[in-house]
Amino acid sequence: MAGMAEMLKRENVQIVEGVDSWEESVRVAVQPLVDQGYVEARYIDGIISNAKEFGPYFVICPDLALLHARPDQGVLKRQLAVTVLRRPVRFKEEGPDVRVLVTLAATDADGHIEVMRRLATMFCDPDNITKIAEANTADEVYAFFTAPIE
Amino acid sequence: MQVRKIMCACGSGLGSSLMVEMNIQDVLKKMGVEGVEVVHSTTSDVHPGAADLFVVGRDLADFIKDVDKDEIIVLQNIVDKGELEEKLRAKLEA
Repeated sequence: MAGMAEMLKRENVQIVEGVDSWEESVRVAVQPLVDQGYVEARYIDGIISNAKEFGPYFVICPDLALLHARPDQGVLKRQLAVTVLRRPVRFKEEGPDVRVLVTLAATDADGHIEVMRRLATMFCDPDNITKIAEANTADEVYAFFTAPIE
Repeated sequence: MQVRKIMCACGSGLGSSLMVEMNIQDVLKKMGVEGVEVVHSTTSDVHPGAADLFVVGRDLADFIKDVDKDEIIVLQNIVDKGELEEKLRAKLEA
């Protein structure tokens, strides 16, 4: 079972000014995992094509997307990445605006259960999402995800 | 309704569906409901008889065609436990 410290590396957390389209936001958010060998480049296309087929089901609440596709769509090793957009993106014309993109690369249905529990607890409170979206630095964002739960 | 198995579904079966599964387990515990199996899967596994109750986010509701509407809970906000509890109660206590 992989915990947050193992699943999220500091180098996979970034703050980005803005993107021109939701497709570009997916590319930007997944790229760190491609660069470091956690997923193949086709994982990006997998997420985009799933979203075109099923709709953006990974926008789980306002301001937050949990980007992911299936393990067989190019995952090599389980890992997370976090991208904060200064200018929000919309996955559908009618919204909502999204500033926090959490990319999940899962190798099976359950191996990431511990971090999902952590994420579910964090994201239950919309204030936590706002704090992440408005963090000043990527270090602050990283600290927010990896700090011990009180 | 009599519910022994709940299936949460999303497009890939391991992101939002897993999060919903965890929230359902928390809500059932809070409600004092025991003996209900909760699983997560992809929308393609959603078929009549695969579970007694199915839970999906609103973006995927249209992809579930062959299951009785009464057996489906559609969530507007996947991480909102309040909405989940209200809708689960409406089904389980009906």
